[in-house]
Amino acid sequence: MSKKKISLSEEELVLALRHREKIAVEALYDMYSASLYGVICRIIVDEATSEDVLQETFVKIWHSFSSYSADKGRLFTWMVNIARNLSIDKLRSKDFKNHNKNQELENNVTFIDEQRNTVYKPELMGIKELVQKLKPEQKSILDLVYFKGYTHVEAADELGIPLGTIKTRLRTAIIELRKNFN
Amino acid sequence: MEDVKAFIESGILELYVLGDVSPTEKQQVEAMVQKHPAVKAELSEVEKALESYAFANAVEPLENQRNRILNSLVTNLADDATFTKKGAAADNVVIMKTPANNFYKYAFAASVALLIGSLVALFNVYDKLQKSNLQLVVMTTQNQHISKTVGYMNEALGVFRDTTFKVLKLKGTKNLPSGGMTVAWSPVKKKVMIDMTALNMPENDQEHQYQLWAIVAGKPVDLGVFDKSTADSSNMKQMKSVAAPTVFAVTLEPRGGSVNPTMDKMMVAGAVNL
Repeated sequence: MSKKKISLSEEELVLALRHREKIAVEALYDMYSASLYGVICRIIVDEATSEDVLQETFVKIWHSFSSYSADKGRLFTWMVNIARNLSIDKLRSKDFKNHNKNQELENNVTFIDEQRNTVYKPELMGIKELVQKLKPEQKSILDLVYFKGYTHVEAADELGIPLGTIKTRLRTAIIELRKNFN
Repeated sequence: MEDVKAFIESGILELYVLGDVSPTEKQQVEAMVQKHPAVKAELSEVEKALESYAFANAVEPLENQRNRILNSLVTNLADDATFTKKGAAADNVVIMKTPANNFYKYAFAASVALLIGSLVALFNVYDKLQKSNLQLVVMTTQNQHISKTVGYMNEALGVFRDTTFKVLKLKGTKNLPSGGMTVAWSPVKKKVMIDMTALNMPENDQEHQYQLWAIVAGKPVDLGVFDKSTADSSNMKQMKSVAAPTVFAVTLEPRGGSVNPTMDKMMVAGAVNL
């Protein structure tokens, strides 16, 4: 990365975004574009469309920022849900279905990870390993919901697992993550 | 506190963070978060975990996307009426708008310059046209004058070339010793012409006119009156016809002429030399 990235604390960033400062937009991009793009391109697969959705995501974040409230949750939670919803909308749109039939067959997380230059940051090496410690059944549910935009009901259908079990596994998967990350 | 624990363990907070809840459930979670700090803390932990998970699975967009996306936001930024801060964003927009503004500015300036230029050119052409017209009038007048002069001269030449004309020099009498004039007379055509250009006589006043007489068989015959003026002296003047005169003479008579010549006012005279 030749460009110097801007990084602010979440509180500073939220304040700057509220004041509609240009630096806030740059910081927002530098801090979150890769995380959001990771979600978007796993749902969409097609690179050009993923880039469009990333742009739409930032535009929507910028335009509807007044509807974000720190009381209701963290900034990233709000943003990633915008990214996920826009991605799912795009995936379900008629144009996209016609255009991308072939790739849909190959649409899966490992495919993406093989195709893309996922970020290998030194400070993330540990985290990567910890993520691998998730049990496969935990990871598959988490990835279906988080990275493929499935609802837990759809995931239950897909995996042929009762709804209650899905919820439990999702929770234990996240508890496992919390252990590892914190 | 039991309901809080059950609420947390239900897994609804995870689904809330994943955006996978109904609007009713959403309100429920938000109410619980407001009410119970423990729920809020739990929610925050779930969020951080998933945020870290996303971070661990991040995919860096291509380098060129940064500018593309930031520019699209910056454009929106400038559209935003609430954004009035300094900075590159506002500058960018000014730069973007400048070419269009300048085009019309320059186009307007060019139009005005063109209009002024056209008016100057038009005025010049009009001025030249006026001068040309004036010259044309002057030249037409000159032309008419010349053609008139040429006409007179042709007439005079015609008289002098005509072999039937006799040219007589009338000489000054004692009343006008230095006087003289030329009379051309054609016995064949019975025509008498006087040469106004060679009229060597003083100008007559308003009450008097010169009168030309011919002596035919010893008696004076009136041949008409004429004036000596500087204004009109470029032609041959035809007088009344006469047959077989012996003498031509000019007297100064009251305007309109007299029936009989006033002999003591005889100015010039000359005998016809047959």
